Amino acid sequence: MTVKGKHRHIYLLAFITVAFILLPVMNGDYLYTIQDNDVFISGHTFMMNTVRYEGGWFAWVARYLTQFFYYPWLGSTILILFWVAIYWMTILMFGIKDKWSFLALIIPAILLYHLLDYGYWIYYAKTPGLPFLHTILVLACLLYTWGILYLTRNLKINWQMKGLICVGLLVAIIYVCNFLWPSSPWHYNYGFRHSIKTTLTDSNFKHELRMYRALDEFRYDDVLKEMPTDNETPPTNLMVLYKNIALMHTGRLTDLFKTNNCGINPFAADSTLSSRIHISQLGAPLIYYQFGQINFAYRWAMENSVTYGLSFRNLKIMALCSIFNQEFDVAAKYLLLLKTSLFHRDWSIEHERWMYNSTNFIQSRDFQAIAPLIDDDPNVLDDDKGRCEQYILDHYSTLRHASSPQLEEVILCLSLWREDAYSFCIHFYDYVQHHPQESIPTLYQEGAILHGNTDESPIDFKGFKFDTFVADRYNRFVQNYNQLSQQGLSNEEMARRLRPTYGDTYWWYYYFYTDFTIY
Amino acid sequence: MKVKHIISTWAIAAIMTACTHPTVPENAQKESRLPRIYPDYTEVTIPCNICPLNFAVREDASEVVAHFTFPNGEATYGKDQKVLIDEEEWKLMLKAAKGKSMQVEVYAKTGDTWKAYKPFNIYVAEDSIDNYISYRVIQPSYVAYEKLSINQRDLTNFDEKEIYNNMSVSTEEVGQCINCHSYQNFKTDNMLFHMRQGLGGTMMVVDGELRKIDLKTDQTLSAGVYPAWHPTKRLIAFSTNSTGQSFHTKDLNKIEVQDTESDLILYDVDKNEVSIISELDDELEVFPTWSPDGKKLYFCSAHFEYKNDSIAKETEMIQRYKEVKYDLYCADFNPDTKEFSNVEMIYNASDSLGQSVTLPRVSPDGKYLLFAQAEFGCFHVWHADADIYLMNLKTREVQKLDAVNSSRSESYPTWSSNGRWIMVDSRRDDGNYTRPYIAYFDKKGKAHKAFMLPQKDPNFYTFYLRSFNRPEFMVEPVSITPQEFTQKAKEDAVKAKYAQ
Repeated sequence: MTVKGKHRHIYLLAFITVAFILLPVMNGDYLYTIQDNDVFISGHTFMMNTVRYEGGWFAWVARYLTQFFYYPWLGSTILILFWVAIYWMTILMFGIKDKWSFLALIIPAILLYHLLDYGYWIYYAKTPGLPFLHTILVLACLLYTWGILYLTRNLKINWQMKGLICVGLLVAIIYVCNFLWPSSPWHYNYGFRHSIKTTLTDSNFKHELRMYRALDEFRYDDVLKEMPTDNETPPTNLMVLYKNIALMHTGRLTDLFKTNNCGINPFAADSTLSSRIHISQLGAPLIYYQFGQINFAYRWAMENSVTYGLSFRNLKIMALCSIFNQEFDVAAKYLLLLKTSLFHRDWSIEHERWMYNSTNFIQSRDFQAIAPLIDDDPNVLDDDKGRCEQYILDHYSTLRHASSPQLEEVILCLSLWREDAYSFCIHFYDYVQHHPQESIPTLYQEGAILHGNTDESPIDFKGFKFDTFVADRYNRFVQNYNQLSQQGLSNEEMARRLRPTYGDTYWWYYYFYTDFTIY
Repeated sequence: MKVKHIISTWAIAAIMTACTHPTVPENAQKESRLPRIYPDYTEVTIPCNICPLNFAVREDASEVVAHFTFPNGEATYGKDQKVLIDEEEWKLMLKAAKGKSMQVEVYAKTGDTWKAYKPFNIYVAEDSIDNYISYRVIQPSYVAYEKLSINQRDLTNFDEKEIYNNMSVSTEEVGQCINCHSYQNFKTDNMLFHMRQGLGGTMMVVDGELRKIDLKTDQTLSAGVYPAWHPTKRLIAFSTNSTGQSFHTKDLNKIEVQDTESDLILYDVDKNEVSIISELDDELEVFPTWSPDGKKLYFCSAHFEYKNDSIAKETEMIQRYKEVKYDLYCADFNPDTKEFSNVEMIYNASDSLGQSVTLPRVSPDGKYLLFAQAEFGCFHVWHADADIYLMNLKTREVQKLDAVNSSRSESYPTWSSNGRWIMVDSRRDDGNYTRPYIAYFDKKGKAHKAFMLPQKDPNFYTFYLRSFNRPEFMVEPVSITPQEFTQKAKEDAVKAKYAQ
């Protein structure tokens, strides 16, 4: 068997180019997230607890290699090299002729498709080391077949008999493995997820991936840059949450309606997936952490680790929460695990310093950003019932007391976001009392002018002097609204017509954003 | 006797010299303190048949040597920062030190300097420990669960095997939760564990034969939850519970598990019948356990009256969770007529102490009772203030077992079959992950310092992110294979009947 012929090289080069474009170039964030949702811990304990189950050695190797997607180009290069090996082995083993050698690309192409076919499933798939696992299994099968062919090369039996030996032995091996090894703790997925469209074309999905990473690294301006500025591409609720967290930490939360605050549900390719997409799995640990809800952040990092497997991202959140809670023994444990990884080691060492020197911690960006958001209400038993966004809105809009200016802003803004007139009016009254000499943010005035004279308001704002431009603009909004309403226009049409003029106000959001669904 | 002594001395010497052992460093600088070792085996009393106590030295050191001195022998071990002891040599060391002690001097090398730390003793009891324990391996999870298993561990070596693993029947969509395992008289031919959700039921082994039973009847609150096999009859007492979970917004205990209702039932294995033991209004009865003669049933009960009809019981329970405090009760039981009588509160923890008692376990000689106590509630594994207490059943005196307790949660106390060893679940290591700790309980009724279940790799627990729940002693391994349990789990459960 030889490998001469130019077609083979042309086909291979074309495949490598396409794979490189589809992987690190177009979907680097996707691959990074897959890596972040997986874990590899060096050492005997992790290895033994991985390899003791059926398929464990493959999973262990796949998880080790998945780490390299921390740098998507690096992980992709390794993966593509594996596919090149599969290509050449297929040609050599089956003696495929030069001009037909593109057939040997079928398996690598399926593997490429399979990797891109996860979409939102990357948060729910329970396959360990998923970018590499199937590739390694295919390679193992090819090596096995090659071994059988080599060992039977001198036997005077036909191809059919060799095939029978090959399959028979494989069945026997699988049967013995199944008997010897306990059932796997993972769910290996060999089928397709029908989500390649999400991976390749859903811009919100891609924005979410980038926003998470930026938020995780406290790059708030980068979070805001991911938010689409046009109203034609509605963001998902998760994007709205990320955006508002970034605004909150940059002191601009009163701009929440100036940026698109009308979230929609994410696009799910199939019904199985749409019923399971929840913010709890997509980003709840980080969201709760950024809001200073330390126990809930820890809880969801743990819940997601239990259900979908331990991951670097959850280990990090659990370490951070443990440091915040001064549970240093368990924090040290998580940091030690992270320290054994290839690419999260520096992060671990940096955060270890927080434990041994409280000044380092107090001066850290995490503490500076998050500590002011931790309320001084007493501990209670509570449950978010798996609805992270609803819990955040309910919790902050019903807080009794703001212990910091940041918290005061959060309470007022989230009361409006939740359209809770009662809570807003109470806290607005407090705000005015506490800041007698200061100008009042436009957003608060918009809220007060709308809710102040309603039955829901416990406080009468009749004598309150609003800024003239706010009062005038509100009067114009009411006038325009009434005019359009009298023309018999639908709510959707009125929303569309008024959005260019009033889309940045609370009033437009209050009257026209009625599609608020929690997932 | 003398010949035996000479032979054993020679045997020790022969084996020790056959293996590579580091030499004791000379001119080491003396340190007046004990070395920091993990797990902490300093001044502990251990069974004469336990596996090696491998440990890691957590000093700033590149090399360590541990010098063991025991009657008629000595040995040194050390590799990098670990002290790993050969299993065969350890058996000989235990044999030589049985009823006595071995002294351990740890040397640690920092730079070019060796330090010799203050030596410590390991006392080897005359008493052996049951060869096996079993525990549920689980992440310290909240609501979610995925991979769970009940494992059995041979205490004389490091072998661990799965008894049952829920992934054998779980699918990606429908999982199965497994919990509370229990044995009759420490033997495994009569045992059980529960499976919930997918393919749920109570898996029972009766005289070595597998059964899958659905213990939920129309007249009872739930299927059986906390079980206790009667020591002589084929009867099992269970609690039935309506359980919920909620989460602390700030408290480091993080989770609260509460029963809004709970009762006690008796299951007759031969008749496949469930009957009520206790279902009093305003009482939350739970954690049944039998006396060794089977004539008394101990259990815990909390008096709790719901006061607000306008809200759900779960909501009121969440609001008043700190008011739920369990006391310890005892009821007489006639094994022939299966009748209970003379229910008596034997320890009033709620009113007199403002405390809550859970998980009682009577010693095999019937003289003592262990329990876990904390400020409130029934799920002490999540209560950092939970400690283990001992009641003298004759005098009813209660003492806190300081040798077993720590500043973090201790729960699930249990006795070995000879009553000389106590095992508890403790979170002392890091506050989040429970580990089994074993303590010697001498003939005078005194508990000695507890030690962590030894592992081959002393750093095992550091890298292991699962808890060991509900550790139980067994005198023999479970002989039914995981595959057989799986096969039975896939079958439909036989419905238990309700008997008046």
